[in-house]
Amino acid sequence: MKAWYGLLCVLLVASVAVATALGNTVSMADVGHVIWYHITLGQTTAPDLVAERIVWQLRLPRAILAMVVGGGLAVVGAAMQALVRNPLAEPYILGISSGASAGASLFFLGLLPPLISKGLSMPLAAFAGGLVAITIVYAVAGGHSRLSVARLLLAGVAVAALMASVTSFITLSSPEPDKLRAVLFWLMGSLHNATWAVLPWPAVVTLAGLGVLLILSRSLDAMLLGEESAHNLGVRVEFIKKLLIVLAALVTGSIVAASGAIGFVGLIVPHAVRMVTGVTHRRLLPACFMTGALFLLWADLAARLLLPGEQLPVGIVTALCGVPFFLILLRRTSYGFGG
Amino acid sequence: MRIAAHGARLGAHPLANGALTGVCLVLCFVGCFQEPDTLPPVQDDLGRTVYLGVTPQRIVSLAPSVTELIYASGAGSKLVGVTTADDYPPEVLTLSRFSALPVDFEAILALDPDLVLASDQINSPNDAATLAAVGIPVFFVSVSQLEDVTRVIRILGTLLGSESYANQSADSLTQSIDSLRVLTRRTTPRPRTLFLISDLTLYSFGHGSYMHEVIEIAGGLSITADMTTRAPVLTDEFVLTQQPDVILGTFGPDFEPADLLTTHPAWDVLNAVVSEQVYAVNGDLFLRPGPRLIDGTWQLARTLHPELLP
Repeated sequence: MKAWYGLLCVLLVASVAVATALGNTVSMADVGHVIWYHITLGQTTAPDLVAERIVWQLRLPRAILAMVVGGGLAVVGAAMQALVRNPLAEPYILGISSGASAGASLFFLGLLPPLISKGLSMPLAAFAGGLVAITIVYAVAGGHSRLSVARLLLAGVAVAALMASVTSFITLSSPEPDKLRAVLFWLMGSLHNATWAVLPWPAVVTLAGLGVLLILSRSLDAMLLGEESAHNLGVRVEFIKKLLIVLAALVTGSIVAASGAIGFVGLIVPHAVRMVTGVTHRRLLPACFMTGALFLLWADLAARLLLPGEQLPVGIVTALCGVPFFLILLRRTSYGFGG
Repeated sequence: MRIAAHGARLGAHPLANGALTGVCLVLCFVGCFQEPDTLPPVQDDLGRTVYLGVTPQRIVSLAPSVTELIYASGAGSKLVGVTTADDYPPEVLTLSRFSALPVDFEAILALDPDLVLASDQINSPNDAATLAAVGIPVFFVSVSQLEDVTRVIRILGTLLGSESYANQSADSLTQSIDSLRVLTRRTTPRPRTLFLISDLTLYSFGHGSYMHEVIEIAGGLSITADMTTRAPVLTDEFVLTQQPDVILGTFGPDFEPADLLTTHPAWDVLNAVVSEQVYAVNGDLFLRPGPRLIDGTWQLARTLHPELLP
């Protein structure tokens, strides 16, 4: 197992290096120069200014944001799957992403007042939207003695559709075409707005979320056995459930505010990782984080390089590469889940 | 301003009122006298065959650029309805208005038009099929290059019975653009120019757009002329490596050049930013491919070459 983590770590570092170096605009020598300049804290000769901006202010924060977003979505996906004991759960399918998108676009189009600062209000609006969505879904599905998986997924699909229409309505009724175009692009899921200033909030929230989930990992394992068994094992099931919902909404909200709704990462990654690590969350969650980070890093690299000089929303790439891969996995393996 | 002056003249022009006179004049010009109800079918810019019968008297425009082209061709007085996005020339504000995206078919039917004019960039041929099904012909115009502006004005003049006015109007626009061409032909240096439609997400003009010619005639060099797609969303990296000397954009009235660095902090090393050559321009002049594109080209030339055009 340790070897796997080691391998993932090496791959991550190598991928960040590749993501910062690749691109048809700056020579490798210049990339190296820029990085060396920053490693030595500016004590060496200054690199070409344009190369410095491209490598250090565009590519590097973008690569790090890709890791945070991909890792965060994968971890939330894994936690949601434990919460509802169903492998189909993920932020996108349960309506959290759509709710967060609706909240964030409400704020983005100026329909909500900026409460604190602009950098923090959008994640808060997205968090609120995501929380509303998942609460409705969970209330509908869990209103009876047992949580019905069919009800849960159907409610998720319905609330996702509802939130998507709310987003469409506020987007189309926006009086400012400039903002409308920006929102439409952002909704497709894109990391093109990554700057150092955007990074801290999603990074802190995602890592904190991962930390809390790791602390809860034994409870999550128990939840897979069913709520009753978990209760008998001494897990405070109701508290854990509520905590997981708020945590999922918080992490997804911060991620959506930074990058829009990027689908499928939360669904695909936990499945692929479970095949290697098994279902124990103490092993599953860190591996999910690293694999999700790796996946989105490469997907974003493709989104960046497919059309020279142009942006492609990374959400398109994650769906295009992720879904076929996922279908093959489903077809090839006899797949077991939990308990 | 030029178009507004034409419009004012139009009111007094006998052509605008006497439709029959207009038809006769057109027919005289062609040199063959026919009954008015046997006008030959015409082909629009999408290659669709449109049967009109008689010269249209009540027309509806499905796009602001088309409205402006109709006014420039001297047939503005025949307009009975425009879209809610229309605001130019000011006369349109008194006309009936309807939503164009999606098309409000009922509102258009209620106006009882005998011809609807559409733009291939905004309107869908499916909408035309819906209108055709209730007996309203739709004529598409296509302005993808600068020269299409005058071409379409002439076509509309012929179609709507204001041919001589349209030809005059087109001649004067051609003259205007040619005189600017002469002014800027040998200008050096040609500032590398980036035209953005939005400062948040970097939408720009790509492959085959009229904007590159507009920038060239204005004495600049468009850095997005070689993009592979028509409506690219640029990367910050592309802009940094292309090093524009001037950044122009339809950023809206509240835009301050400093805003650009808030959304794109890495651009502080761009020539355009360092030398403070970032300008917000009026989107209506550039995003509506109509007669005011020529005004826009002149305005651009003044921005790029203040030494040539004080």
